[in-house]
Amino acid sequence: MHAWTWFLQRISAVVLIIALGLHIGFLHFSNAGEPLNYNEIVARLKTPVLMGLDILLLTFGLYHALYGLYSVFLDVDFGKWTRAVVLGLLVVLGLGFAGFGIFGLISIGYST
Amino acid sequence: MTVSSEEPSGDFEMSDLLHVKVFRFNPDNDVEPRFDDFEVALFDNMAVLDVVMHIQNYMDRSLSFRFSCRIGMCGSCAMYVNGRARLACRTQVSSLNTRYITIMPLPNFPIIRDLVVDMEPFFDKWKKIKPYYIPKKEITEPVVVRPGSGEREFIDDMLDCITCGCCYSACSMVATNQEYLGPAALNRAYTLIADNRDAIRVERLKVVDRVYGVWRCHTQFNCAEVCPKNIVPTRSIQNLKRRCVLRKFGVFR
Repeated sequence: MHAWTWFLQRISAVVLIIALGLHIGFLHFSNAGEPLNYNEIVARLKTPVLMGLDILLLTFGLYHALYGLYSVFLDVDFGKWTRAVVLGLLVVLGLGFAGFGIFGLISIGYST
Repeated sequence: MTVSSEEPSGDFEMSDLLHVKVFRFNPDNDVEPRFDDFEVALFDNMAVLDVVMHIQNYMDRSLSFRFSCRIGMCGSCAMYVNGRARLACRTQVSSLNTRYITIMPLPNFPIIRDLVVDMEPFFDKWKKIKPYYIPKKEITEPVVVRPGSGEREFIDDMLDCITCGCCYSACSMVATNQEYLGPAALNRAYTLIADNRDAIRVERLKVVDRVYGVWRCHTQFNCAEVCPKNIVPTRSIQNLKRRCVLRKFGVFR
């Protein structure tokens, strides 16, 4: 399991560098003038590419962060059962945040 | 405790005094550790091992430390000198750039007495990776590995390990988790896993592919920084991680 999760951590790092770069580029450099208002943000989220990019950023960002947290936790030996409980909590937390975030993005993106 | 050095003679000069602070602890008599101060006359090309030997010979015979070859080959005299794990025999006092020297036992090891540490945890982990070559049955010596074949991996540098324990004592992951195999054992595992002639490469890889194997290394390079042989165990560990992933993909056999 550790080989897979470590490998995915590396993949997520590469994805984050690209996705975060694009995200910042779209948000700050392609709209360098006046700050966007809510309607403009909603209009932008309706673009499938940008919504996809945000979902990518959210899921990979969460994985990267929570795996990092778990890894730090493993550095200190708290025993097998504590490890399992923490892993379970982090998985639930990650899925919860990802679900909530994706739901929010899609709701706004498809709002009329 | 302050003990004055004997009257310096020959090349010794009174102005060239080293102020040495030495960690002392005898579990049989002491409730807690302490530091003893000594003043030792400096001489040309003096190594830290000369300092502790001078203290033991002329100032305090009860000082305990471990040494053997005196030429950086045996790895016995590793100590924590001025905040860094070093081989006492290979550390010139002049390289410390100070006349104030603090000598302590290696961190991350149980202390037996004074500067002598118990190497058993280190070698327990060393044994876990089976640190000896086991040839494949079908191999008939001599094995021909042609230079241009791509089979030859550059592990020569990694083979220089003298098991002094400096890397193990500098590793912050060992400090937080005593179960972690540590840089030396993982480096040794890599030298064997990278050898195509070895019969139990996959078994070795399974041993290092555990939660307290290679995955606890966070590439901080503390081990590489202190290695007296200039080995970079971090590089070996990263190579092992790559192989663990390749094994999952079925590429490494």
